[in-house]
Amino acid sequence: MRSLLDFIVRHSNVFLFILLETLSLVLLFGFNDRQKEWYLTSSNSISGTVYEWRAGVGQYFSLKKENSLLVEENARLHSLLYELTDSQYVEKAAGMSSEGVIAARVIDNSVRKDDNFITINRGRRDGIAQGMGVYSSDGVVGVVVVTGSRYALVMPVLNGKTSISCKVKGSDNFGFLEWQGGDPYTAQLRDMPYHSAVEPGDTIVTTGFSSVFPENIPVGTVSSVEHARNGYTLRVEVQLAVDMSDLGWVYVHSNTLDPEIGSLYEQIGR
Amino acid sequence: METVSFIRRFVTLLGLALLQVLFLNRIALFGYVTPLFYIWMIVRFDSSMKRSSVLLWSFFLGLVIDVFSGTPGLNAASATLLAMFQPGMVKLFVTLDRHDVVVPGFASMGRPFISYLLLITVLHHSVYFILRSIPLGDWQVLAVKVVFSSLLTFIMMIVAEYSFVTPKRS
Repeated sequence: MRSLLDFIVRHSNVFLFILLETLSLVLLFGFNDRQKEWYLTSSNSISGTVYEWRAGVGQYFSLKKENSLLVEENARLHSLLYELTDSQYVEKAAGMSSEGVIAARVIDNSVRKDDNFITINRGRRDGIAQGMGVYSSDGVVGVVVVTGSRYALVMPVLNGKTSISCKVKGSDNFGFLEWQGGDPYTAQLRDMPYHSAVEPGDTIVTTGFSSVFPENIPVGTVSSVEHARNGYTLRVEVQLAVDMSDLGWVYVHSNTLDPEIGSLYEQIGR
Repeated sequence: METVSFIRRFVTLLGLALLQVLFLNRIALFGYVTPLFYIWMIVRFDSSMKRSSVLLWSFFLGLVIDVFSGTPGLNAASATLLAMFQPGMVKLFVTLDRHDVVVPGFASMGRPFISYLLLITVLHHSVYFILRSIPLGDWQVLAVKVVFSSLLTFIMMIVAEYSFVTPKRS
């Protein structure tokens, strides 16, 4: 302790210099627009790398869990493979060929804001484009909204602007999944037709209408059903299948819109 | 004595800051060249001064100019950096072997005073213009600014040395 004090006293001028210079630079980069902008942009370009590094370190701690998830998923894929011998499934499997799937890692995430975003470590360079669906082994995560060359920004279910078309598994009545902030584990299914048979406990899956997501990706389970105020539709509370606060690997569905569907939409000007 | 020299320094600081802010900052020869004559104060700090007070005076000189020219931190940063090296530079150019107090000038240093002035000016102006042109884009423009502004400041300081300092001593 004493030698530390000695050291500080002996080099007091150097410390004074560092203090004054730091103060000046804080002023310089804090209050001058050019310098501030440079500081912010350059720190942003670094932050992507830092986030990835941090996520890389964090990953080691969840290796065990990730492994077990992978094993589970393998099991599921195997079961699908066996089912392929059944001709009924062949047609379905053809629609979701595995070459349309890009694996990516979540490197930054938030669940506490009103409009959350997720950053993944795949970008344009890897074939990611705007509008692609993102899901994990548990279920739907969100939709790609912005792509950089190496990273992409995903708008998850937990974002006020997200709207994903969903249906009750086994029926064709569909609605739109939205989130109104707050609880990161539940979302609301809007515009479900009044007559649709929805019960708490039912599984909600994607419709695959817009080919953003393949059909039948799990979204969550119904926790409560009530009539919407307009009287014609139902408001369904959905317990999300994915824990958004704990994302590791995700899959990006890169099946772009079927050209024929695209041309149909164009004809009606959509 | 202490108070007297404090007041003298204070007046010098205000005078140089006002000169810089009111007149010299308006000069922009060819759009680039602005003399930063205020470092004259730092140039003339004598060798008996405590390093901490050299640093503090320089910092506040820069800060006062920053406040009036709307560039927080810019002059303070470059003046403080200069102040860190000023005492060393005086020692570097004083060839006479003596332990007297050296007030940098022709009278005490002789010809090396010119090298001293040049070194100090180029150091300060480099730091100043580098910080000012962040994000660094055009290196040539930056070099032009440093070289010609240094030259102008240097000429002003030589003039000041001849017209205000030397005659008094002779």
